[in-house]
Formats: sequence, structure tokens, C-alpha cells
Amino acid sequence: MKLNKLLASVLVIILAAGGAVGCSSKSDAADPSAETSSAAEAAPAASNEEAADKKTEPKETTLSLLIDGDVSRAGFDAVAALAKEKLGITVEVEIRPGGADGDNVVKTRLASGDMADLCAYNSGSLLAALNPSEYFIDISKEDWASRLDDTFVSAVAINGATYGIPMASAQAGAILYSKSMYKELGLTVPKTWDEFIANCDAIKAAGKTAILGTFADSWTAQVLYLGDHYNVAAKDPNFAKDFEAGKTKYASSEAGLNSWKRLAATSAYYNKDSLATTYDDGCDIMANGEAGHWAMLTQSLSNIYELYGDKVNDIGVFGIPGDDPNNQGLTVWMPTAIYGNKNSDKTEDILRFMEFYISDEALNAYAGAVLPDGPYCVKGYELPDTAYDAVKNDMQAYFDAGKTVTALEFQTPVKGPNCPAISQECAAGLTSAEEAAAAYDADCLKQAVQLGLDWK
Amino acid sequence: MDNKKMYSGWFLVPALTIFTLFFIVPMVVSLFFSMTVWNFTDFKFVGLDNFKMFFTEKSLNISIKNTLIYAVLTCGLKVVLGILIAVFLTSAIKTKNILRSIVFFPNLVSTIAVGITFSALMHPSKGLFNKVLENIGVPAIDWLGNIQIALFSVVGTDVWKGVGVATVIYIAGIQSIDKTFYEAASIDGANSWKQFLNITLPLCRPAMNSVIILAFIGGMRTFDLIWAMTGGGPGFATDVVASIVYKQYAAGFYGLSTAGNVVMFILIAVFAFPLQRYLLSKEVN
Amino acid sequence: MKKKKYLYLLGDIVGIAAAFFIFIVPFIFMFMNSIKGRREANLLSIGFPDQALFENYLEVFKSNNYVVLTAFKNSFIITSCAVLLLIITCSMAGYILARRRDKMVGSLNFIILSGLMVPPAIMPTIWLMQGLHIYKTLFGMVMIEAALQIPFTIMLYRGFIATIPVEMEEAGYIDGCTKIKLFTTIIFPLLKPVTATVVILNAVTIFNDFTNPLYFLPGAKNATVQLTLYNFMGQYSSSYNLLFADVIIITVPMLILFIILNKKIVDGMVAGAVKG
Repeated sequence: MKLNKLLASVLVIILAAGGAVGCSSKSDAADPSAETSSAAEAAPAASNEEAADKKTEPKETTLSLLIDGDVSRAGFDAVAALAKEKLGITVEVEIRPGGADGDNVVKTRLASGDMADLCAYNSGSLLAALNPSEYFIDISKEDWASRLDDTFVSAVAINGATYGIPMASAQAGAILYSKSMYKELGLTVPKTWDEFIANCDAIKAAGKTAILGTFADSWTAQVLYLGDHYNVAAKDPNFAKDFEAGKTKYASSEAGLNSWKRLAATSAYYNKDSLATTYDDGCDIMANGEAGHWAMLTQSLSNIYELYGDKVNDIGVFGIPGDDPNNQGLTVWMPTAIYGNKNSDKTEDILRFMEFYISDEALNAYAGAVLPDGPYCVKGYELPDTAYDAVKNDMQAYFDAGKTVTALEFQTPVKGPNCPAISQECAAGLTSAEEAAAAYDADCLKQAVQLGLDWK
Repeated sequence: MDNKKMYSGWFLVPALTIFTLFFIVPMVVSLFFSMTVWNFTDFKFVGLDNFKMFFTEKSLNISIKNTLIYAVLTCGLKVVLGILIAVFLTSAIKTKNILRSIVFFPNLVSTIAVGITFSALMHPSKGLFNKVLENIGVPAIDWLGNIQIALFSVVGTDVWKGVGVATVIYIAGIQSIDKTFYEAASIDGANSWKQFLNITLPLCRPAMNSVIILAFIGGMRTFDLIWAMTGGGPGFATDVVASIVYKQYAAGFYGLSTAGNVVMFILIAVFAFPLQRYLLSKEVN
Repeated sequence: MKKKKYLYLLGDIVGIAAAFFIFIVPFIFMFMNSIKGRREANLLSIGFPDQALFENYLEVFKSNNYVVLTAFKNSFIITSCAVLLLIITCSMAGYILARRRDKMVGSLNFIILSGLMVPPAIMPTIWLMQGLHIYKTLFGMVMIEAALQIPFTIMLYRGFIATIPVEMEEAGYIDGCTKIKLFTTIIFPLLKPVTATVVILNAVTIFNDFTNPLYFLPGAKNATVQLTLYNFMGQYSSSYNLLFADVIIITVPMLILFIILNKKIVDGMVAGAVKG
């Protein structure tokens, strides 16, 4: 009975739809069409004005760039200013939200054919999820593309085509620690996870925050788990491949479950207001030496430098420790990349800008504005001497020793969208490591279905 | 009088055209896409798989519970607080006009701005609320960080923002009551409480029904305030069905999230239609 | 009698005090922080600033190439067109739905109630707008905003019109008035109070809409006021002082509208929602 009613109402709706559309063209388009003309007039008028502006200086051109408002643009702005001077290209920046909202905006605008000329977006798995061959310019045939670092290329290449250039330097997901607090309490940099926990106990016993949680920005909760990938890969080198194939799971593999166990083990050490502390607050807290550790991307060093200058050199970095004291490594994030819109009519200018962006000249301008958070992804370009101690000394040592691996999201497109929330729950001690691992596996399944992978 | 002739159906056409084209058509289309894996350019038909997957969503149970708690609480509080404020503001106090404006005022601010402001006020260590509690010797409350409390903090904010509209509807209802009822009651010696119970309450039943329906449906649907204040967290503690649908949508699972939208509609309909029928039947009596 | 007078005075005092603490304090909080420096605002206190920085407001206007001004222009166009459209179409529809008693009206009422319940389907809507070549246009945005508010607006008009006696129309009809004239000269002038309600409630909803412009009207040139909040919310540029200054700037237009229409809102509600 109920079902019949429902069906009947659906029919009514459809009929009403058909009927109304059929009638409307004749009779009552009056007021809507009045609106059309005014809106339609307004739009071309605006674009004509711009066109006129452009005509006065024929060489000049403007490229639009869609970028996450959360990404630091100081370095980019310096290069863009130089590009205006040298190439006559003005970059008009359009800000979009970050996080899940931002992914959404990018996907919606790509799908609807409305992307800006340049798109700044993650490299790695998130790029793969965008279906880039459809939307972005393949730069693999360009001469200058050979300057790009191979690891970086692997993060922006799909099926042999290369799509992006690095917008900033590479960075690591690691533990930032307060050197002054270590000195005050007589601690040494830990080589294993147990040593790390012992340090945390010592800091906690001294009445201070052992590990800083900035979970008001939930993405920060996943850094510890994601940054542990070096240890996962050390134990099971095929993890990423097997995971993508659906052959291994976090909940059922020892290497994978360990990451979640580590995250769960930290729950005892966070600041009390961790769920209300933002990433921004976190930079303040670390700069002022008010917390012992922070599991964070090293991009935060630039943030701290912008706000507090040389205090940044009070912060050291070590890779998330594993079980083997002789094999401590660093999980590396490839930078945000800049992609060229394939459907733009300014392909030439886009390619000119991209080539310029990774030239030595541009990189010098970049480094003049912001110091790197890790090595640049351009072959033969060295870190400047002025780099932060944490980058120049601590991080470079891992790179020199070859003890780095890219994060899982650069090796497989399977990344569960709820990773931040699941990590947040686990770090806050609301769920156990086993529950979190199982929840994350289930979350990844949805992504696998969307990607058309055959998981059983 | 020929009712049909005098009131031409053509008058309905402009509104129906816009509503059908920009609301009903996408909705009907979404019924189809809810049965596909869809990335906007391509789709693959998968039958009811999306619905199966939606129902296995880990946080779905929490979110259905949260949605109902949220809708019932915001609705209940607006219904009760709204009528109390309205009675107060229709009494003979001098400042009623300015107070009416003040109560309505939060409604003028956008949800996202309200969310930002209250997150700041509810900050566990720096926020004004806890500073005040501290001063009167009450231990600080982790308004948005404690999973037992977070949802209720958002409910409180929602009521703060929305009680003004409920109040205005009630005021309208109370003002339309014939004054002679009260005069007669006064002569009979009924006190104010009795008058409220026996005259005001039953006679502003239609107003109350409007408030209930609008607040309840609004409560079932909202997620923007939750999104601005907690993002569904900590973890999944304040997720509602709409925020799950939104998250899946943001992840690019268009088919799956469209299926979630359909489920949500059914969920709301299951509660709202009987509720409305019940309220209307009461009204007639 | 005297006792009652004191009681009302007490009511005034308690009412004002409660309203102040519950409803005004959050606004004072916003204002105080909007005139502080970045670091001071970050402390989230309600105290007076060390130094009042009213230039924050200027900075908000200047930021990102005066995007706030563009946003105001767009939001005004969208809000005024959509509200105008709603007044015209929904008063007509509400008139018929209030007067006619047959099966069609019943099913339409059902559709309208469902319209209140269903969340809009975003991707299919974009798909449709592209087909009509109105995606990313102010016109398209006006249509979407109008479509979303139609059910509620019709409800208000329908309820209000139901309280207007039919005798006048019947007399007019017998005198040979056309149906359109009947509506425009007899009915519509009587709808002023409910129209005030419609204007304020819809204008506030549409002007304050955040999510729909985010999806249906992308592009820097198309920014609407609520989206400007993003300029001050990023991780690197999160500055509460400018954020709150922006909040205040974009709330002022609705406040002005409210002050203008304040007195009429209740009258419109009397029948609009109460008898609906």
C-alpha cells in the first residue's frame, strides 16, 4: 500500500515535470527570460573589458591558477613576480578551500570543464584519482622535463605521461622535536620506538606536553601513521603493491598493524586540548618550545620561520623510529605540483611558465623568499646554505644515506578518504589500533571500488 | 462559482517550471546515478551495490542516531523556548520591540560565521565559556572535544541561531488570538498560568505545528553548522547522515553519495510525513 | 495594579540582561577581535584591544584584489533577482493552491513538502546546468537559489492568502475582471505583510548561502560574500582578526534590511506560517 503510494507520487512528480516543461516554453517564460538577458549582458560586458586590457600590450598574457588557500604562496609569488617581468605572464590566483572541500571543488571543476589554466594540487594518489590524462597537459615530451627528479616524476606520472612540476621543495612526515627541551631534560634523539616512548615519559614526568596534538585540523592526526611507512616498507617491501592488489590489509598484516599500534600508543602523551588545537596554534607552540614532539610535515618549518624567524633552528627532526636502531629512515612527501589545463587555449603560455618555474633563475628567486622544507625536486639544484638546521643537517643525512621512501599515497592511489578521522579517533584513544586498522581497510575498499580495482 | 475556471492552473506554471527543472529533474536523475559507480564522465551500472555499501558504512549507526538526536533536540528546544520567549515578548513589558529584534538577530548571521564564532568561544583553554566557568569555580568543559558533549554543544549553537524564527512565528500566532478570550478569562478569575494553558497554548497550535515541522525537517537535514564546528569529529562522534553523504561526495564517490542522498530522503520522509499527518489531525480536533 | 507594574519592570530588566548575555556578547566578541592585531586576536579573549586597529576593515576590503567588493556585487545581484523571482512566482502559485480544492492541489502540496525535505543533488544539477549552458552564470545561480526556496515561500503565501476573504474576488470576477487583473489589482496589494516576511527570510538564506555558490558558481570573478571568509581561514593565513572583520562586514547588509522590514515580519507570519 505504502509502496503504491510512493510509486504514485513519483509518477506525479515525473508527469508534473514533463507537463510543466512542455507548457513553459509557450506561456510563462516571461520573467525568467528577462533575467537571462540582464545576466547574459552583464557577463560579456565584463569579459570585453578584460579583453581590451589585454590588447593594449599584445605580449602580455594572464594565466589563472586555482590553489588551495592553505598552501604557503610566498615562494610562488616571488617566482610569479619574476615571470611577469621576464615572460610577460601575469598569474591570477584564485583561492579554493583545502582538505576534502578542496578536493571536491577541484573534481567538480575538472568534470565540468571549468578548471583554471594552472591547477595546484597534490601529487601522488590524489592526482591519480583525478583521471589526469583527460584534463592535464602531458609534459614528458618537453626538453626541460628531464630536469625533474626521478622520484618526483614517479609521483606525477601515470601510464608514461608526466603531468606536473614541483611547486615547492620535497618534505618529510617526521617527528619535530624541541632541542632546548631535549637539552634541559638531558634526552638524546631516539633510534627506536621504545626509546622515543621513554623520552615521552620523561617529558610527561617533567609536567610538559610530550607530544603535541593539533587535531582541530584533523588531517594532522594522520601524519604519524602515514610517516611510519618507512618502517612498514622496511618490514614488508611489497606492502604497497600487495595493498593495491587487495592481497594485504592493515588489520591482518603485522607491518601494517604496527603503524596503528604506534599511533594508539601515543594517545597517553598528547596535550589536553589537542582536539581544539589547530595546526596554526601548533606552529606557535613548537616555536616557543612548549611541547617536546610534534608528528608533522616539515612544511611547518617554513611556517614557523615566517612567524618567528630564527627560532626555527631550535627545532630538530628525526624520522619516525621503528624497531631496528640501525634502520631509521624518513618517509618523504613529494611537493604540491602545478598542472597545466589541457583544455585551456593558452597551452603555449602554460608550458612557457612551467619551464620557467623550474629554471635555476626561478628556483633562486623561490629560495630567496622561502627556505626549503627539504630537497628541491630538480636535478642539480643544491640546497642553499641558509636552509634551516633541521633540513640542512637532520633531514639531509637521511637522504645522503639513502634511507628514504615516499609515503604510501605516492605509491598507490588507494587512500581512504576518512583517514584523518580514523587517525584522530585512534590518537585520541577512542578506538584501539585493531579497530582503527579494520576501519581504515573498510574505508579503502570504497576507494578501490571507485577506482575499479577488483578487491575480494 | 466555478472554482477551476476562476483560479487558472497557468498561475502555477512559473513556480513549477523553475522548481521542476532545477530541483525535481536533478532529483529524478540522481535516482539513476545512485545505482552506478560514477566519476562524472563515465559511469558503470552496479544495481543496488551502492546501497549495500552505504549501509555497511562504519559510522552510519552513529550518524542515524545523531541525526535523530539532533533533530529531536533542536526541534524540541525551539518549540519550548520559542513559546516561552514569545509569551514573554507579547506581554506588557516596555522593551519588547527591541528584545524581539535582538532575539531574531543571530538569524541574520551566516551559519558558517556562527560556527567559527562559537568554536572560538568553546575553545577548551582559551575560550570565553571556559574562562567564565573558571571564574565561578566550575571545572572547564571540553565543549567540542569530548565525544559525549560535542553534539550537544552544536545543538545549543543551532538553537541559539534558530530560536528567533520560532519566536517570531509564535508571536504571530499569539497576536492573532482574539483578545476577548483573555478578557473573559480574567473576569472568570483565571490566573496567567491558567490563561497560558487554556487559551494561548491550544490557540497557537497551528503556529506550533509550523515550528515543529520546519525545525524538525531542518534538523534532519542540517550539516553545515556541524561541518563548520566539528567536521563530524572527534573521529566520527558528531557525524550525521548528511555529513557522511557529503564526505563521500567530497571523496569523489558520486554514485555512492547519491545513493546516500536517496537513503536520507527516505529516512526524513519516514519521520516527517507521519509527523505532519499527526499534527494536522490534532489541529482539526 | 502597582504590583503588576513592578513585575513588568522586573521583566524588562531580566529580559534585557538575559538578551545581553545570551545574544549580544557573542557579537561583542566578534567586534573586539576584529579590531585586534593577529596575535592578540589569536588569544580569543573578549577584552578591549591594546590598540584599536580599525584598518583591519580596510585590509579586508583590499585583500585579494578587492574580491570583497566583487563578492558584494554578485551577492546583491543573486539575492535581489532570486527574491524578486520568488515573490512573483510563489505569490501566484500560493494563490491558486490556497483557493483551489481538487486532486492536483493535493499532490502539489505533497511535492512541496518533499521539496522541503530533500537535499539538493549536486552533481546531477551541475550536469543539467551544463546541458542548458547556464552553469557558472549568475542567471543559473539565481535559478538554483529560487528553486530551493520555492517550497517554503509557497507555503507562506498559501497560508496568508487562505485568510483573505474570497468575496472581493468573486465580486470582481462577476464584474468581468480578467484573472490576471483579479490577482494583480485585488489580491497582490493585500500581500504586503507576508511579502515582507518572504523578503527577509529568503534574502537572509540566499545571501548567507555558502555551499551552493561553492558548487554552482565557481571562479574568482563569481565569488559571493560567504566565500570571502575562505581568504582568512587558511592554515597559513588564518587570522581571526580579519576573519571577524569580514564576518561583520558581510552581516551588515542583512542587518539593514532587517531594520527596514522589522515591523512587518510578524504581520506576515500571522497568517503565513500560522495558518499554513
